[in-house]
Formats: sequence, C-alpha cells, structure tokens
Amino acid sequence: MLVDSLVAGFGLFMTPLALGLTLLGVLFGLLVGALPGLGPLMGIILLLPVAIGLPPVAAMGFLIAIFVGGSCGGSISAILLRIPGTPLAAATLFDGYPMAQKGRASDAIGIAISASALGGLFGGLVLIFAAPALARVASNFAPPEYTALAITGLIAIAVISDGSLVKGLIAGGFGLLLATIGTDEFSTGYRFTFGTHHMLNGFHIVAVVVGLFAISEMAYQAMSGDLLAKPKITVARPGFRSIAMTLRHWKNLLRSSFIGSFFGALPGAGGVISSFTAYAVAKAMAKPEEKYGEGAEGGVVATESSNNATVGGTLVPSLALGIPGDASSAVLIGALLILGYFPGPTLFEQQPEIVGGIFLVYLASNVFLLIAGILATPLFVYVLRVPKVYLIPTVLLLCSIGTYALQASVFDLFVMLGFGLVGILLRAASYPLAPVVIGIILGPLLENNLRRSLLISQDGYWIFLERPVAALLLGINVLLIVGAIWFAVRQGQKSDEKREVPEAP
Amino acid sequence: MLGNKQVNWLVIVFFAVIIAVVFRQIHTSMMEQGIATGGPYDNAAAYPRAIAIIIGMLVMFQAAVNWFKRRPVSPETDLTLEQAYRPMALLGIFALYLGLLGVLGYHLTTTPMIIALLLVCGARPSLHIVVTALLIAFALAYFFEAHLKVVLPGGIYGLNIPW
Repeated sequence: MLVDSLVAGFGLFMTPLALGLTLLGVLFGLLVGALPGLGPLMGIILLLPVAIGLPPVAAMGFLIAIFVGGSCGGSISAILLRIPGTPLAAATLFDGYPMAQKGRASDAIGIAISASALGGLFGGLVLIFAAPALARVASNFAPPEYTALAITGLIAIAVISDGSLVKGLIAGGFGLLLATIGTDEFSTGYRFTFGTHHMLNGFHIVAVVVGLFAISEMAYQAMSGDLLAKPKITVARPGFRSIAMTLRHWKNLLRSSFIGSFFGALPGAGGVISSFTAYAVAKAMAKPEEKYGEGAEGGVVATESSNNATVGGTLVPSLALGIPGDASSAVLIGALLILGYFPGPTLFEQQPEIVGGIFLVYLASNVFLLIAGILATPLFVYVLRVPKVYLIPTVLLLCSIGTYALQASVFDLFVMLGFGLVGILLRAASYPLAPVVIGIILGPLLENNLRRSLLISQDGYWIFLERPVAALLLGINVLLIVGAIWFAVRQGQKSDEKREVPEAP
Repeated sequence: MLGNKQVNWLVIVFFAVIIAVVFRQIHTSMMEQGIATGGPYDNAAAYPRAIAIIIGMLVMFQAAVNWFKRRPVSPETDLTLEQAYRPMALLGIFALYLGLLGVLGYHLTTTPMIIALLLVCGARPSLHIVVTALLIAFALAYFFEAHLKVVLPGGIYGLNIPW
C-alpha cells in the first residue's frame, strides 16, 4: 500500500510545476519565517488563495514547503537579531545568538538550516510509515468514533493553547458555530444565512482565516515601535560544511527529531513545546564542557531539528484522520478540502496518488531547504534590513487580492475585514485564535458524525459509551479537562502565594 | 485608556450577542423552515443550540472570573489612545479601500491606499513612497492577473490592464 501510493504519487510530484512550487514555497517560507511577526501560518494563509487554483499535489507541495521553510526561517532572525522570527525559534535563541556574538553567525545559521532539514526528513519518515498505519486503524472507525475523535482534537487544542482553558474552549465553540452557517447537509435547510445568497455555503474559510490571523497581526504590528527602523545585521554566509557540523551531534539530532515528531502527532502540542522539550533534554544529557546557553552547537541542533520534525508529525493525524495538530495543519486540511479531497482513511484507500504525492513533496521540501536554505541565506539577511513600514501595506494588499481571487466576491473582502476586527478583539482579551480555525475545520466532521451516530443508535447518546474506542476517547477528553483545571488551580495558588510574600527591597 | 478588563468584558458581550443571534434564528428562520424540531436527520437546530448553550455556560464562567479577578498590578496591558491611533487609522483606511474597490476598481484605489498606509506607519511624504506604492500595486496586479488569470475589480470604469 505504501510503495503503491509513493509510486502513484511520483508522476504527480515529478512535474516542473510541483517541483518549482515546492522550491518557491521553501524560499517564501524561509522569508516569512525570518521576518519577525509573520511565520509559517501567516505564509500559508497569504498564499492559500494562490494555491487553491493549482493541481492538488503542486498546491499542497507549495503550502507544505511554506510550512517547512517557515518553521526554520525564524532561526535566522533569532540568531542575528535576538528576535525569534516565530515562537518556534524562541529556544534557538539560547545558543544561536551567543554563537553569533562569538563571530559564528554563519555556522549557527548553517547548523540551524541543516538540523531543520534533517529533522524534517526524520519527521517525513515518521509521516510515511505512521500515517498509513493510523489510516488503516481508522478505517474501522464508525460515526461514534469520529465524533469522539473530533471532540478530542478540539479539546486537546483548547487545553494546550495559549491562555486559559475556558477561553480556548469558547474560541473552539465559536469555530464550531461558524461551521454551521450555510445549508444543512441533512435537512437542506438554511442556517444563519439571514436571507442572503452570499452565505448559503457559509463564510469562505480563507476569508475567515486571513481576517483572524493576517489582518489582526498587521494591526498589532502597526502598534509596535518605530516601523522605519533598519536593523543593523552582519552578513552571514553559511556553507555546506555546516551539514557535517550538524551530523557530529547525530545522537542529539535523532533524539530531538523523535521528540519533535512525537509532539507533532499530538493535537495541540506543536513545535514550540517540542523545541523547548528537546532543548531541555539535550541540555540535561550534555557534558558540562559543551556549555549550553553560551553558544553550544548542540542547543541549535536540538531546537531546530525538533521543530521541523514536528511538521511531519503534525501531518500524521491531519492526513490519516482529518484531525489537525495545530492551526497551520488545520489550514492545510482546509486547502485539501477546497481542492476536493477529504483527509482520512478514504483518501488513503481511494486516492493513494495524492497521499503519495504529498509524502514526496514533504520530503522534497526538506531536501530543498537544506540546499536552497544554505545558498540563499545572505538574501534573507538582506530582507531583514527592510523596514516594517513596507511590510504592512504589502501584506494587507496581498490579503485583499488573495481573498478576492477566491470567488471574485467583494463580500468575502468584508468577511475578511470583519474577522480581522474579531481577531483583534479576541487577541486583545488573550483568547487563542487557533481553536477557532480548528473548530471550523472539525465542525462538519463533528456534527455530521454526531447526527449519524444518533441515527444508527438504539439508545440515543449511550452509543458513545457502548463502543470501546469512542468511550476511551471520551475518557481521555474528561482527563484532559480535569488535568487542565487541576493545573490552572495549582498555577492560581502559586501566583497567590507569590503575591502574599512580597519580595525584599 | 482601554484596559484589559474592559476588553475582556467586550468579548463577553460579543459572545452573548452571538448566542442571542443563534437562539433568535432558531426560533424564527429555522422554525419557519421546519428544521428546528424532529429527529437527528430533520432537526438542524439541535447541534448549534447545544454548542450555543455550552458557549453560554463557558462565557458565564468567564464573566464570573472577570468579575472576581483582582485587577493586575501593572497597567502594561492597558492600551492608550496614542497606541491605538495607528492600528485604528490603518483599519479605517483599509475599510475605506475595500468599500471603494468595487466602485472605483483596483487600479484607481490601490496606490492611494498604499501611500496612505505608508504615511500612517510613519513614512515621510516623498516621491520614494509614491514609487514604492506604484511598484507594490502593479507588481501584485501583474502576478495575479497575468499569471494566475484573476480578474481584479475594474469598478464602474472597467479599468483592467491587458497584460
């Protein structure tokens, strides 16, 4: 099955368009990753309207390559500017910046790119072997299992997201409600359409996501200090010898890549948690003379290999079950749905060429990252010198043209703007935005399977407890919520204790 | 000055309005269509109602947390009018641009919008920003129209460039 799907996908992958877009995606990903405030999610969102007009494997290659490049690009600004381009690169700062201060900026960036690519390839192997196996298991699932799975995906992300559990759950619920807008699949009745034909299919997911993330981010960027400032950066030119430097830390590389893939496969965990965990483990297992925190190569290897391996891991539940691991993979699932493919076991059974093509573009994007990333680093260093003032209008214009291009609809533009305002409001009140997108993606899966379960059930809602897998997943959900409440209470108690014992002057 | 606490209350009101809209739609539009009652197949209102109830309970809990939570010692999270001016101006210009896009078309509205945004973001008025705005506007138009075959809004004058 695995070899068949790779062979079938090879034809779709080996086209100039798919290969060219994968390379372009990696370069664009590195660019948006390197620019502080953007990152892989923003990159995927900005070019999603472009991708959905392309053949499926080329389109997914483009977006996945942005994800891969963007997950690595943040390390460039972390190393050179001490500002992580993305939260994923926050842990890279610990040793990457001290390396740059010691005059080893080129080595640090070279190691970061090499470790990212090699970690990403490890994640690719995990994806290729784990996703079909998971899809085989999931092919036995019926509506109750899918219902429980969708709830698990949503709760896991709400629990692990930034901010409070309650806010995460409210945001997720908001996403579920948004997914109900439009024509009901069962009764064919209209829900929340307010009599306008624009809303018969609900809000276009791209307009919602662009508004929530990109517009709100630009408003926040506009609030930050001097937008005309040009950072002073020394030119860095990493060479291919940095691959050998990275491979000297092969044990650390393998261990961190495994941590990254594992956390990636868990809904909600994501690259930030995995990179900090990998760094902590690497530091704990290092010899004292390696001097972690003072410019150790191993520190950069650990964080960068783990955060890029996370990309492969996060695609496992996304492709095999249709359950996104984070906001970026939720948008990738959204793209796949717009292209007319439904992630899950059926995709593996009925369209193995698409699955195989996606596996191959994922591997290719990591190979391109290794080569193009090292060669093109001086270009990204130059881009970091461009003042933010030019970034804001360009991104806003790209948002509006891209959203308009979806359906040549001005209505979509106002949806985008409206969700931009909602995004600003939610961010200002510390509500996480990722659960909203996950809710929109999981909404139809949850509702359709819930209603199907009740249709086939003899005992109403008891069907979820009568089936072992569904009951187990619901049990996990209860544990997740109880665990999150216990953690929140403990945190509250600790902060109360701190407040009661004021620090000595 | 807009404090973190006020913003939190604003979000509570926002979700309360959403919940109210859900129930209003269920009792009007969906009831009239006959999709608000019956079994799992016919009842399209049961699921959004359940979600709205769950959100409602969570929002009430959050409101209670907001009510009883002590005010943060540091006012760092509070937003001053001075800080809010730039994003508000940016969103205002962007909203005006979107409003005029369908009427005047892409080519007449985009360059002035970019110039206005650059000025709001602190760029000094100069020929340089005009050239930059023209370059950004036409480069993106060329990419979308010539390569992706997207027809950008021409407005009432039907202005489109045959690249």
